[in-house]
Amino acid sequence: MAVLAVESVTKSFGGVAAVHGVSFALEAGRIYGLIGPNGSGKTTLFNCITGLEPIDAGRVRFKDERIDGLKPWRVARRGIGRTFQMIRVFPELTALENLLVVTRGPRDQAERRGREMLAFVKLEGLAGEYAGNLSYGQQKLVEFVRVLMTDPTLILLDEPAAGVNRTLLNDLLAAVARLRDEGRTILLVEHDMKVVMGLCETVFVLDHGEKIAEGPPGLIQADERVIEAYFGA
Amino acid sequence: MRLSRAVVLPALAVVLAALAAYPMVGSGYGVRATLQVFMWIALAGSWNLISGLTGYVSFGHVAFFGAGAYTGAILVAHAGWSWPAAALAGGVAACLLALLIGYPCLRLKGPYFAIAMLGLNEVLRALVSYFEGLTGGGNGLSLPTLDATRAIYYVMGALAVAVTAMTYAIITSRFGLRLMTIREDEVAAEAMGIDTFRHKLVAFLLSAVGPGIAGALTARDQGYIEPISVFPLAITVTMIVMVLFGGKGTVWGPVLGAAALFVIQEIVWARYPYVHPLLFGTIIVAVVLLMPRGVLGLLQLKYRLPRTI
Repeated sequence: MAVLAVESVTKSFGGVAAVHGVSFALEAGRIYGLIGPNGSGKTTLFNCITGLEPIDAGRVRFKDERIDGLKPWRVARRGIGRTFQMIRVFPELTALENLLVVTRGPRDQAERRGREMLAFVKLEGLAGEYAGNLSYGQQKLVEFVRVLMTDPTLILLDEPAAGVNRTLLNDLLAAVARLRDEGRTILLVEHDMKVVMGLCETVFVLDHGEKIAEGPPGLIQADERVIEAYFGA
Repeated sequence: MRLSRAVVLPALAVVLAALAAYPMVGSGYGVRATLQVFMWIALAGSWNLISGLTGYVSFGHVAFFGAGAYTGAILVAHAGWSWPAAALAGGVAACLLALLIGYPCLRLKGPYFAIAMLGLNEVLRALVSYFEGLTGGGNGLSLPTLDATRAIYYVMGALAVAVTAMTYAIITSRFGLRLMTIREDEVAAEAMGIDTFRHKLVAFLLSAVGPGIAGALTARDQGYIEPISVFPLAITVTMIVMVLFGGKGTVWGPVLGAAALFVIQEIVWARYPYVHPLLFGTIIVAVVLLMPRGVLGLLQLKYRLPRTI
């Protein structure tokens, strides 16, 4: 059974179809890539899945229940976590508070777990620092572990590699692989082809809001339509 | 942290004891002025709960003060209620009004919410002017004579303490941190599973109770109210300036702002009555330009002070 099924989803802004009739399904415990030129509808599709943008047509099903039309916070509570292309930490909350706000249950347990998470990305020394004072890469890590604090089944990562140095990136990718091994599903939007090809088992390609290809990374790279979309005819 | 608690708690106890003893020794003017400070602490602290924490600026918070004042005054004047019961009713009425208004308006984004609240206040003022039979309309409403200033001093003081204690409890909780996520980035908060609407609504209801009670107490203390005396925009502006000055989103900012600005206002008012409005404008501009976080917000950020300030 698919964890997430996107069925003929369409979303227009004014007269422009940002996403048009896109369908795909994600199986549990796998890493998927979503690629496409700028403006091809990747982030809009993320927004449609997470409820930030109401869809015009189609259906989104998560664990066999429809989630299109739900408020973003309800989608998140069902088990879909996401990061943003432009980092969205809470700048005037500390790194630890950024993680605490998404927790429920006893506070001491939540704090312990938050500190563990910060240690996991080697930020334990900055727990009390305002997130807005952290470097770009550090904020990205805080945003990443904040998603993990919600214990999501499906994780949507919007350009996790952008602006992150090599060492940090390798840690991040190792963490993503570990999440997959725990049985979680990951869908990532990424421009860095090395990352996509190395990590993803299946890649979807969007162009002008439509899905033009789907398959293992090796085949996708050789697909003529994909090459055309990226480099022009 | 522990050390500071060992200093702060006894210091607080001393201040409270002194304020409790003050009416026995203070002058009539002194007691009245302190009562006013209590009222401003309750009002500024309440505004801080919704606007300082969530960033949803309420430009009509005096509406809750006025609603409480009229509820209390009508119950005392027409139904013969005792003033403490009427004060509680004022709080309840303000809370119900907040529910009625908050339910649609808190779905609006920040600036639209601010304007909607401004409108609410004008509507209420028009309504109380219209229903003359109940409210006395533009002629106002007189309450039976009663000298209860000393008792009201204590109740208003307790209200100021309660609002501040509630602010402390909220800011040091995850509920309070979640309110701040709305101010910081509402979209991200939603995407992280935070039901921002419910959080805003709860904060808004809590922020209405204090002004409602304060309004009813003020009506009783003054013995006479009229639409322009309990629904003026100036009261909202004063609350806002006090919080901005002291530090929005902090526990003690509204207390500091209310006390400091009230004292400054009294001094200037007595000596230079005509410059008085100018002063407030100047403070607004200076605070926004020089320290947008207010005194405590600035210190908190600079010296990494805990949220308990």
